[in-house]
Amino acid sequence: MSKDIQVSTSHKGDIAVISIKGDVTAMTGEVIGNAYQSESVFDSPKILLQFDKDCYINSGGLASLIDIASEGRKKEQKIHAYGLSDHFQKIFHMVGLTRCIPIFSSEEAALEDF
Amino acid sequence: MEQLVELKLPNILGSEKVAIEKAVTIAEKMGFSMDKIEDLKTAIAEACINAIEHGNKFDENSQVGITFASDDTSLQVVVHDEGDGIDPKKIPKDRVDKDGLPRRRGYGVFLISNLVNEFSIEKKPGKGNNVKMLIHLNR
Repeated sequence: MSKDIQVSTSHKGDIAVISIKGDVTAMTGEVIGNAYQSESVFDSPKILLQFDKDCYINSGGLASLIDIASEGRKKEQKIHAYGLSDHFQKIFHMVGLTRCIPIFSSEEAALEDF
Repeated sequence: MEQLVELKLPNILGSEKVAIEKAVTIAEKMGFSMDKIEDLKTAIAEACINAIEHGNKFDENSQVGITFASDDTSLQVVVHDEGDGIDPKKIPKDRVDKDGLPRRRGYGVFLISNLVNEFSIEKKPGKGNNVKMLIHLNR
């Protein structure tokens, strides 16, 4: 099984940015979960998920993102996303993930709306 | 004339990517739009993952069979597992939990049914299950 995922974290002011490139699956979801749980991100009130447009996301990966959305809601964090391909934007809408992680067309738009 | 392609995949998560690559090759040759190809990729991936996880229950001695049958107007994909499969009645219909969040699991069949034109699950006691998906070129 490919574990091809690259996840990094950074900050833009008070916004924690998690950059995700590669396969978002049940097996790689842990890598994203670990980035979210890292000290500098977990306590941030605002989190931006920056997806690469070539990301592959399956139902196992969606479950990992739902875990983050669930935890974020408990902690009253605002979580935004951008960079997803049109197809995975559609998938996010289909499963209802956009109700807790709104998707934006650009990084600027995602940052401005916090 | 109907064209048939058959694949046998190891029952390991990740092997669905082989099926996705084959589907893309066939769908591009048939002239499917990029949107439909993306839908097909996700539908096939989810059917294979369900076969590996729920059908064959991660048994590495089992296989996942995939048949692509195409004609001038549509592509039918059948994903076969060797186990008991998913009982469609047990798939939660409510997609939101009590807190208004999407449910964590159970999206495979939901996504497939929303991404292809026709979809069915055929259970064959003792012989596994077939998930049939039909996607039309122009509908």
